[in-house]
Amino acid sequence: MIFSKVKGVLADEVLDLPTQCPSSRTPPPPSPVTVQPPASSPLDFEVRLGIAGKVVKRYSFLIGDPLMVGLSFGEKNFIKGGIAHDLRTDGRKRLTYRPIFVETGVIPQASGSARVKMGATDVIASVKAELGKPNPSHPDKGKVSIYVDCSPTAEPTFEGRGGEELSTELSSALQRCLLGGKSGAGAGIDLSSLSIVEGKVCWDLYIDGLVVSSDGNVLDALGAAIKAALSNTAIPKVQVAANASSDEQPEVDVSDEEFLQFDTSGVGRHYIVDATTEEESQMSSAISVSINRQGRICGLTKRGGAGLDPSVILDMISVGKHVSEQLINKLDSEIAAAEACDEDNEMDS
Amino acid sequence: MAGKASATPATYSPSPTGHRKKRPPTLTDSDWIRPDGRTVHQCRPAFLRTGAVNSASGSAYAEFGNTKVIVSVFGPRESKKAMMYSDTGRLNCNVSYTNFATPNRSQAPEPKDLSSMLHKALEGAIILKSFPKTTVDVFALVLESGGSDLPVITTCASLALADAGIMLYDMVASVSVSCYGKNLLIDPVSEEESYQDGSLLITCMPSRNEVTQMTVTGDWSTPKIHEAMQLCLDACSKLGKIMRTSLKESASCPHD
Amino acid sequence: MEYVNPEGLRLDGRRPMEMRQLRGEIGVVSKADGSAVFEMGNTKVIAAVYGPREVQNRSQQLNDQALVRCEYSMANFSTGDRMRKPKGDRRSTEISLVIRQTMEASILTHLMPRSQIDIFVQVLQADGGTRSACINAATLALADAGIPMRDLVTSCSAGYLNGTPLLDLNYVEDSAGGADVTVGILPKLDKVTLLQMDAKLQMDTFENVMQLAIEGCKAVASYIREILLDNTKQLEFRRGV
Repeated sequence: MIFSKVKGVLADEVLDLPTQCPSSRTPPPPSPVTVQPPASSPLDFEVRLGIAGKVVKRYSFLIGDPLMVGLSFGEKNFIKGGIAHDLRTDGRKRLTYRPIFVETGVIPQASGSARVKMGATDVIASVKAELGKPNPSHPDKGKVSIYVDCSPTAEPTFEGRGGEELSTELSSALQRCLLGGKSGAGAGIDLSSLSIVEGKVCWDLYIDGLVVSSDGNVLDALGAAIKAALSNTAIPKVQVAANASSDEQPEVDVSDEEFLQFDTSGVGRHYIVDATTEEESQMSSAISVSINRQGRICGLTKRGGAGLDPSVILDMISVGKHVSEQLINKLDSEIAAAEACDEDNEMDS
Repeated sequence: MAGKASATPATYSPSPTGHRKKRPPTLTDSDWIRPDGRTVHQCRPAFLRTGAVNSASGSAYAEFGNTKVIVSVFGPRESKKAMMYSDTGRLNCNVSYTNFATPNRSQAPEPKDLSSMLHKALEGAIILKSFPKTTVDVFALVLESGGSDLPVITTCASLALADAGIMLYDMVASVSVSCYGKNLLIDPVSEEESYQDGSLLITCMPSRNEVTQMTVTGDWSTPKIHEAMQLCLDACSKLGKIMRTSLKESASCPHD
Repeated sequence: MEYVNPEGLRLDGRRPMEMRQLRGEIGVVSKADGSAVFEMGNTKVIAAVYGPREVQNRSQQLNDQALVRCEYSMANFSTGDRMRKPKGDRRSTEISLVIRQTMEASILTHLMPRSQIDIFVQVLQADGGTRSACINAATLALADAGIPMRDLVTSCSAGYLNGTPLLDLNYVEDSAGGADVTVGILPKLDKVTLLQMDAKLQMDTFENVMQLAIEGCKAVASYIREILLDNTKQLEFRRGV
C-alpha cells in the first residue's frame, strides 16, 4: 500500500491527506487588510485593470471563459482590492512581471528550442527548418508557420479537442505579431533570409509551441519562448550548385559545418501585467501588444469580450511600451545566460 | 471578378507562378485613385438588408463592393445537454466560405480563426445575462470574398442579431484600414490587402464609444496607430448610422 | 543491418542488457495534483494527474469505484520528422487505453467511489519505448498526487535482434522489425499487468526476452522508489521535521 502524499514545494503543505479535494487548492482566504468595501450588488462591481488606477470597465463576470476558476466572492474582492492598491496577491506591483526563467536547447531533434517558465506557467517552443518550395506570390521569401498546442497536462479541460479553441487563438495572435503584414513588412523574422534559390527552394520554418502548464499569461510566455528558440536556432548553410538544366530542381547541398545564426528583431510583448489565472478570470478585457526593439508596435490583439474606450486602449499601448522595454532587456540577458549555460554543458559532455 | 477589375484587365487564371504582379507605386498624394476608383479615405458603398433567411430567427445580407456576406442567427435556444449549467447565455459563432468565394479555392482564410474573432467582437455587445441556459448561434457565410471580409461579417452579424431581437448594448460596426507605405487605406479590397504593409481592424459600439475588438498587424508607430484608430472610429460611427437606417426600414415595412 | 557488433555493443554503445539512462523528477506542473517527468535516454515524457475529483460527465460515474481516465498526446516536435497529426488518432487512442488499464490495475479505485482521476501524458521526445516511459511517468505522478496504489507499476521493453535479447529498445532498434516485448509489472507483488508483443518469437526465446524485460522493470522500480524517497526527504527537510 502506498499512501505517500509527496506533493508540492510549499513548506506548510498538508502531507497526510491521501485524497485531496480540488477546492482545497484554491488560494488562502483573503486577509482583511486590503479588501475593498463590498460592492452594493453582487452583479455590479468594478473590475480594475492594473493601468494607472483607472477604472477600465464596469462589468460583472467574465462570461464563457474556458479557464473559469472557482473563486469565492471574498477571493474575487481580494484580488480586485489588491490591484487597486498596487499590491497583488503574490506581492507584485501592477506593472511587475513574474521572474522569467529561460532554458535553451531542450529539444535536441529541433533546429532550435527553448523552455520558458513564468511562475507556474511553463511553455516549450521548438523551431524546425525544412526545405520547401516558396509561395508563388513571394518567390524571394521563405515560409514560417506557427502552431501552438495546449497539452491537457496544463488544464484537464484541454483534453481531446478542448484545447483547440485556445490553441487557434494563441497561434493566430502569435502569427499576427511575428509575421507582420501581408507584404512582409514589419515581420519579426526576416523572411528573405530564408530564401535559398529564388522561386525554387527556401526554408520552411515550423515553430511549434507547447503549453505544458498554464497559470495565466500563456501568450507572453510563448512569445518569449519563441524568441529564445529563434535565437537558439541554427540553420545549416546551404550551397547551391546551379549547373543542371533549368527544368531540374537545383541541387541543394546542406552542410552542417557552417551555421547561419538567426535573430529576430526582438519581439517583446506586454499583456496587461502578466496576470495569473486567478487574475485573468477577473478581467473583463485585456490587450496584448507586441513591441519590437525600436519601440514600434508590430502586433496587437484584444482579448476578452467587454468593450473598451479607445483612449484607454491608447493608454494601455503606452503602458505596454514602457513595460516591454524592461522586459526585452531582461529577456535578452536571460537568453544570453541560458545560451552560455547550454554551451558549457556541451563542452562538458 | 473580385476587386481587380479596373486597374488590370480581369483574368480568371490564378496568378502564374514566377510572374509577380507589381505592387503599384506608393503615392503620398491623398487623392490618389484606388483600383476601384475610391480615394484613400473613402469606404465602399454599403448595402445592408435584414431578413435574408426565412427560417432563421434573424438574418442579414451585406454587400460592400465585391464582398458579399449572409449571416443567419438562430436562438436563443436551449444549450446542448452536454453543456454545463450557465447563468448567462452562450454565443456560438461559425464562419464559412463558399467554394466560389475566392478566385482560387485554396485561398480562403482559416475559418476557425475568423469564427473566434467574430465571437470576440460580438460577445461584448450582447447582453448575455438576458438569456441564461441558452445558446445563440451565429452562422456567417461568405458568398464572395472581396477584401475586408471580417469587418463585413462582423457588421452583418450584429445587424442579424438585432433583427433576431437579441438584447444588445449596441450594434457593433467594424472597419479595417491597410497601411500602405505612408498611406492609410480605409476598407481595403483583396488586392490592396495582399500588398499591405500592415493592417488595423476595429470593431466598436458607436453610441457607447467602446471598442470590442481590435487587432493590429505589421509595424506601426504610436501616432500612426492613433491616426488609424480615429479614422476607423469615425467610419464605424457612420457605418452604425447606415445600419440603424436599414433596421428602421425593415421595421417600418415588414416583409410578408 | 548489424544491431549488435562483434564486440557485443549496440548502436548507441550499450551492452545488450544495459538500460538507457533514467531520470525522473517530481512536481513539474505546479497546478496539477501530481506530476512528473520521466526520461529514458532520449525519450522524455511529462505526466500530470488531476484528481480524485468530482466526475465531470455524470453518465460515466461509477458508484463502487473511481473512474480512471487517460490521454496520451505527442508534441509536434517530439519525433525526428515534424508531423502534425490530429488528436485522437488510432495509435494514441490505443496507447491511452493501454496506460489506463495498466494504471487502473494498481490504483485502489474502490477507496474513491464516485470520483474521477485523470492521467495526462505528453510525449516531449520520442526515441522508442514511449509506452514504458509514459507508464513510469504516470506512476510517479500518481504517487505525487497521493493516490492510494497497490504497488508502483513500472514498465520496460525488451527485444530480440541478431539472435540477442536486447533491453530497452531505442527508436532505431524498435523499427528494425524484430520482436518488441513491453512488460508492465507490480514489482513487490511480482505480478504482470501489461504484456504486449509484436512480431513473433520462439516460445523459449520469448521467455528469455520477457524475463529480461521484467528485470528491467525491477531496475526502474528501484529507481522510482529512490526518487520518491528523495522527494519525501526533501519535503521533510522543508517542514523542519
